[in-house]
Amino acid sequence: MNRFLLFVVLLLSFSSCHGAQDATITEVVYQVGDEPIWASPTFDDRNWSKARAYIQDRIFWVRAHVDLEKAGRVEEHLGLRINAFGAFEVYWDGQLIGRNGQNKQGGKSEIPGTETSCFVIPDTLATKGAHVLAIRASQAYLSSDLRDVIVSIDAYRQLIKSPFIGASLMNMVAGVFLVAAVYYFFIFINSRKRDYAVLIFCITCFLFFILQLTEYLKVYVEIPYAQFYLRLKLIGLLTFVIAFLIPWYFSIQFNFKRKGLLLGILGLSLLLIFSYNYGHYDLTAWYYGRAMWCAAFLIVGNAILQKEKGAGIVMTGLLVSALVDYFLNYDLSLFISFNIIVMCMLYLHTIRTRDAENEYSSALLLSARLKTELLKKNIQPHFIKNTLTSLMDWIEESPKQGLVFIQALSAEFDLLNEMADETLIPIQKEIELCKVHLKVMQFRKEVTYHWSDTGIDQKETIPPAIFHTILENGITHSKPLPDGCVSFCLNFIKQPDCKQYTLLTIAENRKSVSRKEAGTGFRYITARLRESYGENWTFTSEARPEGWMTTIKIYNQK
Amino acid sequence: MRILIIEDETRIAARIERMTRSFFAEKLKRLDRFESIEEGLSFLADHEIDLLLLDLNLNGENGFSLLESVLSRSFHTIVISAYTEKAITAFEYGVLDFVAKPFDENRLLQAFLRISSPGQGKGLRFLAVKKAGEISMIEVQDLIYIKGAGIYTELHLNNGKLELHDKSLEKLEQLLPPTFERVHKSYIVAMDHCEKIMVNSGSKYELMLKNGELLPIGRTRYSQLKEKLFGQ
Repeated sequence: MNRFLLFVVLLLSFSSCHGAQDATITEVVYQVGDEPIWASPTFDDRNWSKARAYIQDRIFWVRAHVDLEKAGRVEEHLGLRINAFGAFEVYWDGQLIGRNGQNKQGGKSEIPGTETSCFVIPDTLATKGAHVLAIRASQAYLSSDLRDVIVSIDAYRQLIKSPFIGASLMNMVAGVFLVAAVYYFFIFINSRKRDYAVLIFCITCFLFFILQLTEYLKVYVEIPYAQFYLRLKLIGLLTFVIAFLIPWYFSIQFNFKRKGLLLGILGLSLLLIFSYNYGHYDLTAWYYGRAMWCAAFLIVGNAILQKEKGAGIVMTGLLVSALVDYFLNYDLSLFISFNIIVMCMLYLHTIRTRDAENEYSSALLLSARLKTELLKKNIQPHFIKNTLTSLMDWIEESPKQGLVFIQALSAEFDLLNEMADETLIPIQKEIELCKVHLKVMQFRKEVTYHWSDTGIDQKETIPPAIFHTILENGITHSKPLPDGCVSFCLNFIKQPDCKQYTLLTIAENRKSVSRKEAGTGFRYITARLRESYGENWTFTSEARPEGWMTTIKIYNQK
Repeated sequence: MRILIIEDETRIAARIERMTRSFFAEKLKRLDRFESIEEGLSFLADHEIDLLLLDLNLNGENGFSLLESVLSRSFHTIVISAYTEKAITAFEYGVLDFVAKPFDENRLLQAFLRISSPGQGKGLRFLAVKKAGEISMIEVQDLIYIKGAGIYTELHLNNGKLELHDKSLEKLEQLLPPTFERVHKSYIVAMDHCEKIMVNSGSKYELMLKNGELLPIGRTRYSQLKEKLFGQ
């Protein structure tokens, strides 16, 4: 408890050190006209106006009475900061101490100064006590914009330094977004799958970088007051676009169903805000932020209901940004809450990247599994031992035929080995495999197997051992016709939107008790098709009066 | 001898048939060949046979489903299969032999020879019993003794129940593990259920079981049983 008290006292003492008033400044007063005497500290300005009047490009004077609490020293010069539109000369106790821009002089027109300007008060003049500040000004540009002149006094070094501290921090953050934008842009252009969420994210990051840069541009670029609104207009535009992009990104990442409707309403409300508040730059930006927040809240809330990954953390971010917005003034809160939301997007993106990684590694696993499955086809005991038993019989009965059998078997092994590492093989090779498999099976089953193919395009490819698998199923589940034959007819048709293979087995279908074997075979086929064609294929297998028909359709990649 | 071959590979079926015919020669009364479980079962429904030669994978169908139902029948079964890893299970269920593919004539003949030689079984664990049309599996370790009753046998179990089996005492003797002993032309006893041998007047021997039941001991089997029981 004591410690806590000490901490509070320390905090208070620090704040008192910093918050010490160096000077009290009276409300500024204005007078149209131009008299050198108006710079004098002794001049009586009691009947000057407290409000500015529209005077086009004529000269006007501004006066303020200053009471310095402490004198300026060599170690710490006092400084004066003036926020005003126009070009002006600054007089301290009647002496010219600085100039911002150039007042109209003779034939020369006004050279506009910057909105914010700082001046050092010479130590000899900065004595403790009462002083008079007088400004001889003109506002030839934007002369209808009657902005108040705001004067503040602080240590000169502090006046110069503090904007840079803020700007450097914000620029650091901006740098992060620049790197993110560049990185995700590279990811987007180099990825096979054009993920537009990545592009939106990349653009948002880049715009956000520009936005932060623009906001603090005024610190290190001297902008003539005539161009003051240019920067604010740019900020408005950037905020507008970002306020649209962020909910769009969330709607893609969280699979929001009524994307079009919500984004339409958001776009419309942003336009309404723009037209209704035109000219109120900071306020407009703040409203944009609100509109974006509401849209994002709807999408993320819906995502939480849909149990989307990462929705919780993004919602937390949204709530924190709302809290920040409630406690801070809107100029700063807009940036902090935007930062939080963009950070949420970044986090969400890494989650998606991890998912994609998982997907990729499971695809690799699948490929490895399929490869083993293919190799296993010919070494599973049922195949190899039955084949060897038949082979023994052939050798005992007719060694010559036995040799033909061995050659067919070894050809089948060779072909399967060759294609084990491939995900796609020329169709001709698959047909070769089918033919040699039928030759082997003919020796075993003593059934005459016929193979025919029509319309085959030699340039086409197909995942390995697909028709081989269909053939295996066909041999297992078919009884030969009375003439002792089973025929397989492969047909290929190329259509504008797809390629179609049909394999017709002409035989009598066996009444199958269990379809388990067909199940594993079909799983192999569908897994191979998915591996090579994603979801752009169909596979059907059905009884026909003449036997069995298997159809594979491969649609053109979208 | 009436033999049924169920094998889906024509070449192999023909090979088995050839070897079977040459082994049994004129003793073979009838031989049938089918390539599916369905056909085999419908044949067995109205035909008695003495031996079944069965493949375990028939056109993608599992021969084990057939095995359970045929093992309750009176005939012996020899499995001829590529799935050697199924051999132990097949023996547990009571097949006479398991011939692994690829096989030569000698191996098949060896299996055929087991039919006519008394021998002992390899790892039989269950006896399939048909009761009210359903097949139930009885654990061999639950058997106390088996009594021959004409063409079938009575299985006396240690829970006091009695089940009927279609296989003859001779056929069961070929399948049962060495822990079972034929004590009489009508009895096979589980050795660990024997209490003592009682010698009655007129060299009439009786075996007292742990549950107090008395079983006759065949005159010719007395000394062999005594040696087995008491190691003398």
